[in-house]
Amino acid sequence: MSSEHQAHPTPGQYWKIAAFLAAVTALEVAMFYIDRQLGLGFLNAAILILLSAIKFLVVVGWFMHVRYEKPMISRFFTAGFVLACGLYLVVLSALGVVAIRGG
Amino acid sequence: MTATAERPTTTIFRRPKSTTGLWGWVTTVDHKKIGIMYGYAAFTFFIIGGIEALLLRIQLAQANSEFLTAGAYNALFTMHGTTMIFLFVMPVSAAFMNYMLPLLIGARDVAFPRLNALSWWIFFFGGIFLYSTFIFGTSVAPISPDGITGNLAAGGGPGSFNFLADSPDGGWFGYQPNAGPLYSPGTAMDYWAFGLQILGLASLISSINFIVTVFNMRAKGMRLLRMPVFAWMSTVVAFLLLFSLPIIAVALFMVAFDRQFGTLFFAPVGGGDPILWQHLFWLFGHPEVYILILPAMGIVSEVLPVFSRKPLFGYSAVVFAGAAIAFLGFGVWAHHMFASGITPVAQAAFGLATMTIAIPTGIKIFNWMGTMWGGRLWLSTPMLFAMGFVAMFTIGGLSGVTHSIVPSDWQQTDTYYIVAHFHYVLFGGAVFGIFAGLYYWFPKLTGRVMSERLGKTHFWLMFLGFNLTFAPMHWLGLQGMVRRTWKYAPEAGLETWNIAVTIGAFTIALSIAVFMYNWYHSRRHGRPSGLDPWDARTLEWTIPNPTPEYNFATAPEVTRLDQFWHLKYDEDEEGRAVRKPEADGLIADLEYDGRNPKSPIHLPAPSYFPFVMAMGLPIIFYGVIYHTTMWGKVMIAIGAVVSLTALIGWAMEPLEEPFSPTGDDGAVADATAPRGGVVIERADFLSSDAEEEVVPHE
Amino acid sequence: MSDVAASPAGAEDVADAMASAHDVDLGHHEEHESTGIENRKLGMWVFLSSEFLFFGALITNYLLYSNRGGFEGTYPAAIYDIPFTSVSSFVLLMSSLTMVLAHNALSRNDQHGARTWLFATAALGSVFLGGQVFEFTEFIVEYDMTLSTNPAASAFYVLTGFHGTHVAIGIIMLLSLWGISRRQNGLSEKQGLNLELVGLYWHFVDIIWIVIFTVVYLLSIPPT
Repeated sequence: MSSEHQAHPTPGQYWKIAAFLAAVTALEVAMFYIDRQLGLGFLNAAILILLSAIKFLVVVGWFMHVRYEKPMISRFFTAGFVLACGLYLVVLSALGVVAIRGG
Repeated sequence: MTATAERPTTTIFRRPKSTTGLWGWVTTVDHKKIGIMYGYAAFTFFIIGGIEALLLRIQLAQANSEFLTAGAYNALFTMHGTTMIFLFVMPVSAAFMNYMLPLLIGARDVAFPRLNALSWWIFFFGGIFLYSTFIFGTSVAPISPDGITGNLAAGGGPGSFNFLADSPDGGWFGYQPNAGPLYSPGTAMDYWAFGLQILGLASLISSINFIVTVFNMRAKGMRLLRMPVFAWMSTVVAFLLLFSLPIIAVALFMVAFDRQFGTLFFAPVGGGDPILWQHLFWLFGHPEVYILILPAMGIVSEVLPVFSRKPLFGYSAVVFAGAAIAFLGFGVWAHHMFASGITPVAQAAFGLATMTIAIPTGIKIFNWMGTMWGGRLWLSTPMLFAMGFVAMFTIGGLSGVTHSIVPSDWQQTDTYYIVAHFHYVLFGGAVFGIFAGLYYWFPKLTGRVMSERLGKTHFWLMFLGFNLTFAPMHWLGLQGMVRRTWKYAPEAGLETWNIAVTIGAFTIALSIAVFMYNWYHSRRHGRPSGLDPWDARTLEWTIPNPTPEYNFATAPEVTRLDQFWHLKYDEDEEGRAVRKPEADGLIADLEYDGRNPKSPIHLPAPSYFPFVMAMGLPIIFYGVIYHTTMWGKVMIAIGAVVSLTALIGWAMEPLEEPFSPTGDDGAVADATAPRGGVVIERADFLSSDAEEEVVPHE
Repeated sequence: MSDVAASPAGAEDVADAMASAHDVDLGHHEEHESTGIENRKLGMWVFLSSEFLFFGALITNYLLYSNRGGFEGTYPAAIYDIPFTSVSSFVLLMSSLTMVLAHNALSRNDQHGARTWLFATAALGSVFLGGQVFEFTEFIVEYDMTLSTNPAASAFYVLTGFHGTHVAIGIIMLLSLWGISRRQNGLSEKQGLNLELVGLYWHFVDIIWIVIFTVVYLLSIPPT
């Protein structure tokens, strides 16, 4: 996959991206079973979140085309995402589900 | 027609053509007409909400009064709050935003005119749906799990007006599990939950519309930091709505599911957590109060400069402070929960965050004062209301700051001190700002000016009545008068001031009667305003009054902030404004040119489909409330069919269809339409953006 | 008609200042200060960014209850069928591929290809939905876990249920575009924008599932 795409990826490149996403999904499922065997605790969560984040960003960046769009679009999208994460992390902390340091 | 794939047009119902008469209103997509409809509907609910308040005040004027039953009292304060917030302040702000926003930014309409109409009709039918609870709703006394009948508040007991008790009575904030299936059985709170759901949808759609409008449809040269402050505040409010409404939507779905389908989100008996409701509700609820106040702040920022003959002091600061208030407003919601058992760390964090909001708020207040300072004040009615806003909102803001101190708030919570605070900011603030806007922009709707004599009478009666009503609530609260409770004992020593409060409330009512008479009378007999009655500064005053259907005859080009003012006035060596000799000629030209467009103007065509689609939603929700019956299921199906059909028709409605307003002869019925035989062509477009296809004329 | 030259001296340039250089003749669109992003596209992005708040609340709700101890009845995390859900997640992911292929085909004016990939996307989405229905049925019938079993179950059903509803709405939109294209023998450029917008919506629904799959299925443990 070339790092410099023209305005649109070609169908071939889309197939490759899809294959990548499938591979990451397979990794995630593998992690689930590995964790069942080895009990990795927090590390498991971290790896899984990282893998999902990669999938998330790939779909947003290439399939939703954000990489090639005007910055305003990614700003809106990020704003909504960041706001949601921030607000709900605080709520979860207040409800005792997650612990924010000192919270 | 441009070369596109052949698209079948809908032939079942012919495209409406009329822009006059009732049908014209039902099918309109004109932002001005939509704004007017919002305004009248909102004001009607204002009256209803006011009557609800007066009933409450009659009850509270006497200790141990039996004017109302406890159940009726609960229903009245629930509906008073719900009505004033969701059915008055929000829609009247929508009225202003709808009517004024395109004018302020130099546009012909909003980005999505049919979606705009859809928002209005969803609101309209949603409001009717919510209020139909007074006819259809039921509220029975709950039976607690141990088999003992719950409090008598749900109905019966000493007092009268008990028929009102069958309405939503769980508070406008619907705290769980009180407003849930166990303690509020019956259908009243279902009407509340679904009604708010419908209303929220209307606002969400509007917010998307306004954001795209402001970002994409400003006139040439109208950079964001040249926009009038009201346009800025509308944008900020749109973002607040956009991000807060989905949260309440989820919360309302959850409570609806608890009530209808047996989920266990908020029922402690099943393991649910009532505090979750409070978090979700206030995550929406706090941005909501900024949604309520920012439009009024925007109006005041328009009115003060005009009637001080000075530019707004610190335009950028006012704009950024508004954005800061909105942003910070997302971070303070748990200050409504200081007494709900959240941890000390949470209390400290939210207390601190709440204090920080005072900073941008203070910036705005000082800037408004700076605007007036040294100005040549014209104490017209709109100016009086704007100045009243600044003073009263400051008082309300100060009591708000006292809530941010947590131990102090523990004393104030659930007392009338809190009621005093939010009425100072919402009535002394938002409502005063709204009246300032109504008096200020009345000429745009009607081409006339409202009576100053009646206006000043209205203002002083309202100012007096408002302070008499809400100032005593500060000390009544600190003396221990509890909120949301239908009576108080004679020994509490609260009666004297409560009588004063009630007198104040009726004084407010009287002032509103004066206003209504003024409005009605001035529409027909008010002094003609001409183009520029207030010697104003912004773009909306460069077109004739009442506003022509197409707004601007030629699209304006903007080169600076307050451009209109600078076209009329120079500054001398001491910085004083000196009227240019050509100013009057300019106004005369603008008047003439504004009524005589030189070339055909494309306007969006009317449409049935928003009206029909909106009608389906309440039908669906009626069905859901009664879904255990056959009729309920039938109604869900009918409502879904209605909305879906309208959606399909809408999607099939051709993007462009030129026609002339009254039919084939080209004669234009609209009195404000141009003379000279220029036909206004109507085209329907989902977007008036770079891709708009041009329909060749003739 | 107003003739600018006949206006009083001085007002001329003023009138010019008030008029756009681009507005005249035939109602050709006036020049706007704009983001350069089409209205409908900007509108869709704005809407999608608000949906984070919607699904965030539902996910928060699930996280609150999913491993809170002390409830009666079956917890969802105890009965997940990870292999099954992995397959349906894969299916939904691939539907995003078919979606971009549809958009890509249309951009090359390959109307038939666009139709095919649109239909494929709808089909894959339907397979995903079918999987959801199957899963829910299993849970209810085999494990007696319903909406009212306990708050964790309520949260699970409402979260995945709303996601499924979004998928269903997406399928309706996809099939509508497919049907319109068949009827008209192709989509116009303006309708092509609609396809792009439906695509954005579809990918969004997919990324929400990416989050749900990890947070709800892979990371969820019932209380001991």
